[in-house]
Amino acid sequence: MAAPVKQNKLIRWIDHRLPVFTLMEHELNEYPTPKNLNYWWNFGSLAGIMLVIMIFTGVFLAMAYTPQKDLAFDSVERIMREVNYGWLMRYIHMNGASFFFIVTYIHIFRGLYYGSYKTPRELLWMLGVVILLLMMATAFMGYVLPWGQMSYWGATVITNLFSAVPVVGNAIVTWLWGGFVVDNPTLNRFFALHYLLPFVIVGVVMLHLAALHQHGSNNPLGIDRKGPQDSIPFHPYYTIKDLFGLGVFLLFYAAFVFFWPNLLGDPANYIPANPLQTPPEIVPEWYFLPFYAILRSVPNKLLGVVMMFGSIFILFLLPWLDTSRVRSATFRPIYKWFFFVLIVDCVALGIVGAHRPEGIWVVIGRIATAYYYFHFLLMMPFVGWFERPRPLPTSISSAVLKGGGRLAGAGATMEKP
Amino acid sequence: MGAIGTVSALWPFFASLSPARDTIAAGAPIDVDVSTIKPGQQITVVWRGHPIFILHRTPDELKMLQEAKDTGLLRDPDSQQPQQPSYAANWHRSLKPEHLVLIGVCTHLGCIPRLEAAPGGDLGANWPGGYFCPCHGSKYDLAGRVFNGVPAPLNLPVPPYNYIKDNLMRVGENPPGINFEISEIEQI
Amino acid sequence: MRKLVLAVAGAAALGLGAAWAQEASQPLPDEHWSFDGIFGTYDRAELQRGFQVYTQVCAACHALEHLLYADLGGPNGLGYSEAEVKAIAAQAQVTDGPNDQGEMFQRPGRPSDPFARPFANDKAARAANNGALPPDLSLIVKAREGGPQYVYGVLTGYREPPPGVKMGQGMNYNLQFPGHQIAMPQPLRDDSVTYADGTKATLQQEAHDVVAFLTWASEPTMEPRKRTGVKVFLFLLVATVCAYVVKRRIWASVH
Repeated sequence: MAAPVKQNKLIRWIDHRLPVFTLMEHELNEYPTPKNLNYWWNFGSLAGIMLVIMIFTGVFLAMAYTPQKDLAFDSVERIMREVNYGWLMRYIHMNGASFFFIVTYIHIFRGLYYGSYKTPRELLWMLGVVILLLMMATAFMGYVLPWGQMSYWGATVITNLFSAVPVVGNAIVTWLWGGFVVDNPTLNRFFALHYLLPFVIVGVVMLHLAALHQHGSNNPLGIDRKGPQDSIPFHPYYTIKDLFGLGVFLLFYAAFVFFWPNLLGDPANYIPANPLQTPPEIVPEWYFLPFYAILRSVPNKLLGVVMMFGSIFILFLLPWLDTSRVRSATFRPIYKWFFFVLIVDCVALGIVGAHRPEGIWVVIGRIATAYYYFHFLLMMPFVGWFERPRPLPTSISSAVLKGGGRLAGAGATMEKP
Repeated sequence: MGAIGTVSALWPFFASLSPARDTIAAGAPIDVDVSTIKPGQQITVVWRGHPIFILHRTPDELKMLQEAKDTGLLRDPDSQQPQQPSYAANWHRSLKPEHLVLIGVCTHLGCIPRLEAAPGGDLGANWPGGYFCPCHGSKYDLAGRVFNGVPAPLNLPVPPYNYIKDNLMRVGENPPGINFEISEIEQI
Repeated sequence: MRKLVLAVAGAAALGLGAAWAQEASQPLPDEHWSFDGIFGTYDRAELQRGFQVYTQVCAACHALEHLLYADLGGPNGLGYSEAEVKAIAAQAQVTDGPNDQGEMFQRPGRPSDPFARPFANDKAARAANNGALPPDLSLIVKAREGGPQYVYGVLTGYREPPPGVKMGQGMNYNLQFPGHQIAMPQPLRDDSVTYADGTKATLQQEAHDVVAFLTWASEPTMEPRKRTGVKVFLFLLVATVCAYVVKRRIWASVH
């Protein structure tokens, strides 16, 4: 693709005035990438593709959707029944939210395992956390738009969280709602923001990529590239690898869209919103459950809200909380185990979030919340001090040649030789 | 200078998100004839999109409320927290003891509690009668006072209201001479 | 093992009485449907029978707000011809207008009209039904945990209340309904309808047919969705295998 570029006259003419082709050549073809990336590195590009899918389907859905409280639910049903392929676009979009979060969460945990947040990639990581926050805001507002029971009551519960702010809490909530309850003005502004924020995400993703390309990808060994023998060009090696990963991912995604489109949703959202009747149980979408569990595990409301938001904001500090100089958990015998416990912890929080806070669930929720904070605030700094990392390979290519790639743990074994 | 200009220019946009004039107008006080509510009965009217409970309490229920004060089961038995106008900060949390007026929105996360006036039953043998929130199990007594050990932090709010005639209640307006804004309520 | 668990759970439910039993959810029926699975389709004869049950029984109280008469025809419909759809629509009286005199008037329904509603509004529906609101049925199957199995369970779950259970005024005992007290009186019995195609109208048959119809009403686009899904899946499978082969060849030089 890149080699014949400069030979075409038109391309040369354009490139002289606007160097887009040089840029593409530089960022795709010449861009040196570690040769040992495993399949866990596919999820970044998958997240980017999900963003494009969501924006694309979203724009077309917006053309048939009506952001008005008496018409919103009906307009969604009209999309499902009367609009050509409306069901397809809505199911892609609706399940897309779940799959976007799946790939993003895996992407984040990959970064956690291989230490991708460590110097010199702190800003890259922090921009990622900003993207996560924007995604959550977008997903939350998008869920309100069908104006079903869960939309309405989810919006009420979550916006009410701000009333925990001392003194001005109620004023903030009224301002957020544009009324005295969640109502038409709320739906209107949520729609406007739900349409806007994805494009803000695109902007931050650009910065995320700019920061990535400054120092290049981290890799399963977590050691810097020493020279050209450690690198391969992104294209065609990783374009084809990403493409294969995309195919596998789309198979799962398509199975949900076409065969189990409502499995991840709540049946109550097919009941139109009723401000005078709460559903028996208000449960957020699965990707918010761990945070919801943290919120409900803390007996004090304000503290619960602070700890819920804190569980994400704490990620901003991660590059400085982790005192170990070794990036990859492959060479960190103690941290590695804490990492797996953290995954179990997050899954446990998710399960707790789906249950009423009664009996054993309260206990599990509190232990899991405490562990979450323990992991980041205490374990991270201390293990970094006393842990003796295993010896690092001298270079990526020496590890690969010696079959040292095996060392790279679960990830590397996925890599077919 | 630049900062003043920028903040001034942004202010209209910020303010535009506050409730609009028609929204505020739609939140004007409403009149309710309370003579039709029989003892033990509750009606729900809608004011500013909130369900407003108006409960006619029986003498037995009122007697129980007076006793409940000292049992230690209530988190805020004397209505110390600003969840009501000053004229409802008494043991019956109302102007007239028999009529209870509440904003029927749980102070935990905004669900609508339901009236479970009968003692005992599903809610346990020691349930004295009151309000039960189906979302997360918060419990309030028949004056909307929250029990200890439930997720809701505060008593159910009492809106401003007034009797303009003996049996005609106006929800959303204070008795003459009293200035109470609904925004003074700590939490709805 | 499962039987043992069920037996223990059953004993516990009995032992702890009505209050506890309200919490324990009734297991769903295990009915088989033509639309089960990724290749499942609607059975048109079944849908038409179900539509007959809806029209003759359910429609007295329950609306189908999101459906047009036109939805009954076409490839995703119940298999009716255009003329049949017109005739079905024409049986309904629809308020239209205002006319040139400024008055509203009644006219026979057209395929482009939404299904006629039994009550003018929710208040009228409550007033006619002892304060209970008969829910709209166009999404009932998607809006209930358990979907078709649950709706079938409710329709066939009416029983005499067990001794000792105090029923609320105007309430009926139902095994499937959460809390077991349902405001809707038993809607279907043997021979509630006489099927045009001669099928014997048992309670189970009627319930099965009307649930199939309501499932269709909840998701009339299910058939094209599954059809498209199979094609998309096969395409992706081939494309992914191709990508894998190419990937192996490109990476062969690196290892």
